[in-house]
Amino acid sequence: MKPPFYMRYVILLVVCAILGVGIVFQMVRINYSSSAQELIEKSASYQGFEETIYPPRGTIYDRHGHVLATNQIAYEVGIDLKFVSDAESIAFSAASLLDLDYADVFSLASTLSVGEDENRYFVLASYVDEETIDELQSLKESYTERRRETGTSKPSLSGLVWTAMEQRSYPEGKLASNVLGFYNYFSRETAQGVYGIEETYNRLLTGQPESVYVPNDPYQVEALPNIDSGASLVLTIDRDIQAMLEKELADAIEWSGAEGGTIIVYDPENGDVLGMASTPTFDPNEYWTYKETFPNPTPYNRAVGDAYEPGSVFKVITMAAALDSGAVEPSTTYEDTYGVYWVENTWPIYNWDGGAWGEQDMVGCMQHSLNVCLAHVAVDLLGEEEFYKYVQAFGFGRSTGIDLAGEANYPLRLPDNNQWVVVDLATNSFGQGIAVTPIQMVMAVGAIANDGQMMVPHLARSVVDGGQQYDVASQVMGNPISAESARTLTSMLTTAMEEEASEALVTGYSLAGKTGTAEIPTELGYTSTETNTSFVGWGPSDDPQFVVYVWLEKPSISKWGSQVAAPVFRDVVEQLVVLMKIPPDSLRVQSSAE
Amino acid sequence: MKKRLLQAYKQSPWRVQLQWIGLFLLAVLLVATITGLYLSVSAQAAAAGRNVQWLENDIEATTSEISDLMTKLAKAQSTEKMAARAEELGFHLLDPESAIYIEVPGFDPDSAVVLAPPRSNTVINTPLIQDSYTSSLWDWFTNNIWMGSDAASGGGN
Repeated sequence: MKPPFYMRYVILLVVCAILGVGIVFQMVRINYSSSAQELIEKSASYQGFEETIYPPRGTIYDRHGHVLATNQIAYEVGIDLKFVSDAESIAFSAASLLDLDYADVFSLASTLSVGEDENRYFVLASYVDEETIDELQSLKESYTERRRETGTSKPSLSGLVWTAMEQRSYPEGKLASNVLGFYNYFSRETAQGVYGIEETYNRLLTGQPESVYVPNDPYQVEALPNIDSGASLVLTIDRDIQAMLEKELADAIEWSGAEGGTIIVYDPENGDVLGMASTPTFDPNEYWTYKETFPNPTPYNRAVGDAYEPGSVFKVITMAAALDSGAVEPSTTYEDTYGVYWVENTWPIYNWDGGAWGEQDMVGCMQHSLNVCLAHVAVDLLGEEEFYKYVQAFGFGRSTGIDLAGEANYPLRLPDNNQWVVVDLATNSFGQGIAVTPIQMVMAVGAIANDGQMMVPHLARSVVDGGQQYDVASQVMGNPISAESARTLTSMLTTAMEEEASEALVTGYSLAGKTGTAEIPTELGYTSTETNTSFVGWGPSDDPQFVVYVWLEKPSISKWGSQVAAPVFRDVVEQLVVLMKIPPDSLRVQSSAE
Repeated sequence: MKKRLLQAYKQSPWRVQLQWIGLFLLAVLLVATITGLYLSVSAQAAAAGRNVQWLENDIEATTSEISDLMTKLAKAQSTEKMAARAEELGFHLLDPESAIYIEVPGFDPDSAVVLAPPRSNTVINTPLIQDSYTSSLWDWFTNNIWMGSDAASGGGN
């Protein structure tokens, strides 16, 4: 006998079985359907996401630990369509606070959040400052309060979102911008250092970005790997010296009517660049404007990126070569009878004033900057082989190796080169027909100030990486001349400056130096009346602690280095000795005697 | 005896039913307990996972804030600002000719800035994390109990 409701149980069982089989069949069908892969991929996107973690870019400090470049918080403001409820309010606030077009923002915020646009996010503005975000936040809160009071759904900034992001910041503004370069941070993926230190040490400052998978599933969450921030750099630059140089350069350009210029302060003992001012300059916090400041072919940093004919400051190199080779001594005389020097089958060479200076010893030749005397020394006493051997030993014709991007190098025209002509030897001796960069001149003159040892100029003093500080060792470029020759030349130029009663003299300090006035070549030769004026000097003469190089391009007030560049050198050194805490000679000598 | 039991069951079958119900409830309780424990542990794991995410965000936010504060401090101490503040306080640029130099023994005007300890080659031989924190229970057991007893027995040889 069948139990009661037997058929009902059977029917229920059959229905359940059919349902079960149907579910299993559907599961199998979905797994093997054509859209299964698409569904799997879609589900994977909900499980987590790949994220590239960029370590914070390293900080750049001056030699005393003052921050020159670091990072600050900025914000990206966008619209998350899922949460937008009041497009008008979003458009209004974005237009008033972010300076965006009301219609554009309204159009974006009004996009229907359906289908493909379901998770749509629009970026409205990047690198918005904290003050603006604070204003947006308070506006959002006031709207919330108003909705609570009125019981309505508007006004609302729901859907207007902002996320923090890192922005490169240069707290000193324009200061040392020609040295630092800049970091073009707008696109994180392609951001890199451009020019200067930022470019040279880009990889070190950037650190190692790492890609990690971040699961949404809280069970799978793991701590993100510890990623070291980019290395920080301590520069050889002294912020106070740099500020002083930039001010002096700006004043000098205004006073002299020069088109541009550069001033470098260098420690000859170790190659530290203590300050490097150059024009034009700009604020790297607004790096996107740099093309307005540096239209082609303006170099970003004249001190390293601009080669020019230096003029008479190069006589220092010629005289160093002559002394070291034994071709001359300080007392060697030259009879300047006619004020002209003839190089066979070429054109005559005159002194700067066109006059004749009679009998002069080598100190007199340097003191009065006699072109004919130096041409005689190079052509008749040194010879082309010796002269160019020394010029190359002083580093001309090749890069100095300074750790700054964009170093220019004008190849040296040597006697075995087709373009070299006989008169080049004579003109090169007083700095014409040869192109050098200011940093090349500084390095070469540094050898004379440092007992003949030439140090590679550098800007990185130490690197802070992985919680440890590494000092950057100074590098010796070479010894172009002996210590004795270097001291002799320093003594000669000290005497020359004092006897000339140079505009470059600084009370209380013995300094060695040389002026330079160079004609500027044009397509038709040296036809321009414009000049490059410069001055290179070092001191104190008995124990040189600095080399200062001043170059002012095409001054209008005077065309002579002695009248334009020399006073600038004096003004710089007067402040430099205070900033470097170098006492006057009398005190220093007395102190060392004790 | 068997007859009596059968009679007793027939007279009161609810007793056996009660036993079955008791057993069933016990099983349910066991399953509920295990499920409860699982849920509790899962919830804690999930909460810990979320906590890790929040802490990661906090670390990022704090790091950014430190950078931001450093920038603000650097801006407040920039040469331009410091010069303006000095001027407001009545200071003026030193005239080099009126400078007075006093020799201070041991003072180095150009001492290097120290932002981190200098590079050292010290190697720490002691592991920072003890084995017991990283090895499995089995490893710990074999290393400390099994090997320990081996050592003890070896010691007797």
